[in-house]
Amino acid sequence: MTALAQSPAGAQKARAVTPTRQKTKANAVPKLRYIVVLLAGIFGILGGQLLLSIAVSGGAYEIASLKSDLRGSQQEQQIVGEEISALVAPDTLATLAGSMGMVPDNNPAYIRVSDGAIVGEALPAEASANGQVFAVTAGTESLVPPRIVEDVFLTISTAAALEADVVDALAPPSDEAEFAETTMSVVSTVSVSETPAPRFGGSIPSPVTR
Amino acid sequence: MSHQRVSRRRMGIALLVVFLMAGLLVTRLVDVQVVRAAELKEQSADIRTTSEVIWAARGSIVDSFGNDLATDVDRYDVSADPRKVGDFRRDGEVITVPAAMAEIALITDANPDELLYAVNRDREAHFTFLVKSVSPEDRQALRDLRNPWLQMDLVRERTYPFGAVTANLTGMLGTDEPLAGVERKYDPCLRAINGTATYQKGADGIRLPGTTQLVEQPIHGGDVRLTIDSDLQWYVLQTLAEHGSNLGAQYGSAMVVRVDDGHVLAAVDWPTFDPNDFSNAPVEFLGARSLSSPYEPGSIMKSVGIAMLIDGGYTYSEDRIVAPGFYEVYPGQYIKNFLVADNRQLTTAGVLQTSSNTGISVLADRMPKAEATRYLHDFGFGEITGIDFLGESSGQVLPVDRVDALTRYNQFFGQGISVTAAQMASSYQTLANDGVRVPLRLVDGCMTSEGDYVPEPVGEPVQVVSASAAQQTVRMMETVVTQGALRNTLEIPGYRVAAKTGTAEIANSEGYGGDRVISLAGMAPAEDPEYVVLVSFYKPQTSRVSSAAAPAFHEILSHVLKHYRVAPSSEPAVLPPLTW
Repeated sequence: MTALAQSPAGAQKARAVTPTRQKTKANAVPKLRYIVVLLAGIFGILGGQLLLSIAVSGGAYEIASLKSDLRGSQQEQQIVGEEISALVAPDTLATLAGSMGMVPDNNPAYIRVSDGAIVGEALPAEASANGQVFAVTAGTESLVPPRIVEDVFLTISTAAALEADVVDALAPPSDEAEFAETTMSVVSTVSVSETPAPRFGGSIPSPVTR
Repeated sequence: MSHQRVSRRRMGIALLVVFLMAGLLVTRLVDVQVVRAAELKEQSADIRTTSEVIWAARGSIVDSFGNDLATDVDRYDVSADPRKVGDFRRDGEVITVPAAMAEIALITDANPDELLYAVNRDREAHFTFLVKSVSPEDRQALRDLRNPWLQMDLVRERTYPFGAVTANLTGMLGTDEPLAGVERKYDPCLRAINGTATYQKGADGIRLPGTTQLVEQPIHGGDVRLTIDSDLQWYVLQTLAEHGSNLGAQYGSAMVVRVDDGHVLAAVDWPTFDPNDFSNAPVEFLGARSLSSPYEPGSIMKSVGIAMLIDGGYTYSEDRIVAPGFYEVYPGQYIKNFLVADNRQLTTAGVLQTSSNTGISVLADRMPKAEATRYLHDFGFGEITGIDFLGESSGQVLPVDRVDALTRYNQFFGQGISVTAAQMASSYQTLANDGVRVPLRLVDGCMTSEGDYVPEPVGEPVQVVSASAAQQTVRMMETVVTQGALRNTLEIPGYRVAAKTGTAEIANSEGYGGDRVISLAGMAPAEDPEYVVLVSFYKPQTSRVSSAAAPAFHEILSHVLKHYRVAPSSEPAVLPPLTW
């Protein structure tokens, strides 16, 4: 009786257990899949984050190098800007013009475009009005011309010396007018072909009409 | 059975160990995160975080064409830690300390012995300067030396690329603050405020991404634009230097003003100073005397006086008067002329042309002194000009009740009144501009770092005398150039020029002494004046008559006409007679 009574109970137990086990087994495959997907996801995200942060760090190095490039370029711009300022300084221009033999002339005449008439009285510049630059600070400044200005001076004086050499090399001409003419042509040839390109650009400075 | 017990004991021990470990960790956690949290946080931030100064550039002062007159540049201070200075290897080659110093000296034009001394003076010191303010170019060359103990730190420095040319106006910057001129007065526009940022960096010195925090935004300075034409300013300064030193003058001032808008194109003081290096410059040359030093102008005031008299209806160009040799103000007090001492039949134009003190006294007698004082104020004397320069002088016009019997006449020929060169130029601008005084202008405006242009307020023009009075006066001044003693010096071929000379005695403790101020003021082209030029020399030694200022005036005015491409005069002058 007990056995009988037990048996169905046991059977019932066994029956009750078996379906559970069966359920677990049936669910086992999807669970593993979840775990794998979950883990893959986590590692995927972690990996992605790692790659991203590597990329960002790499970017930081690039930014650092670009920043130093920028700084370098700014500095170069400043150097060039300072050179330009030194070259356009009125003192420098006047001295350079004087060293080329230019003299100031305050008496120009103008051609009226409408009828071609000449207005004003053109007078030749006085030779005495040489391009001398006067000290203006009662001698208290310590004048050290910037390097670029010295370079340009050097270029110009080299060119002038070259011209002088070429002129000297010519046979002394008998006719003074002819001499002047020869000199002129030689000078112009030299200045076109032999003058080393000046450092600050190469084109002949042209007057700016204001 | 015993199996089970053993495993249970093992389990117990393991659990105990786990709990102990966990306990330890929790204790540590609490200690770190709660007990010492603040202290540790600070330490770690200190180690990782670096703060940096974000340099902001002080604004530039530019001329009317945008040329930099004062600007900020990068410079580097080269220094070393004497304890670390020693021989080093470069490309397998040993560079000794003296050799390294020689290399540095070669690049920076320094003295190698001084560099060595700087390091050897105190080998235990932590820091010594080697060379100060090295250019970026030289700094690059120094870096290429790959010298491990060389340090270079960025400093910002003020430079004045044109040197002394506009020094009187720009002023200069001291170590901490602007000292004078536009630099100081317009400091609110120019001033820059450095910013700061913090960031964290890794062991290799590269900043960690996303850690940069701007603590303070840098604010760059704005640019101040002047009305000055620095090419012209240079020319005028050169002319003053040439003639001033020939005359043995103590100093000279000159101004060029554009008539229609009162723009000061050149305001020059000679001698001046180099703002890049003014440590040795005498203090009296550091400012702008044309704006800050009043003087008794002398006869150049006569043009103003005659314009006043014409406008008041007391005379006209052809008016006939007799100029006595001596004009008796009260018994025993005479006004006399510079040269001529007899009765002369002059017209009002003749009074101006011959610069007759007695002649103008006859005319001045017709105008009540209160009216004269009012006119002088209308011309801008006794108050600062529209330039409103730092330390500008207002000169002195005596109040009516203090104008005595003599000063009443003296004022008309520029004694008993003190003016600045700028005020005098402004009064000539009024005469040139049909009697309308446009307040002088030196600073045009401020360009902020955001790119907004804030113009300086424009002063209200004042009609001081009628157009007719001003034009008649200009005609009379033309006779000074065409028929005066200085015609050979003053005439500019092709142009009509109006000018007036002036020689003023300088008052000293014993009255008027032998020292003079010689001046010339004028305008061209006279038929429709475009530019006003004023030149004065203080205490000339080799010649004390106003004619000595004429060559400088002539050169400057000719240059102005050429520089600005002024069309030559086409109408012939119709000038008033001088005698009758």
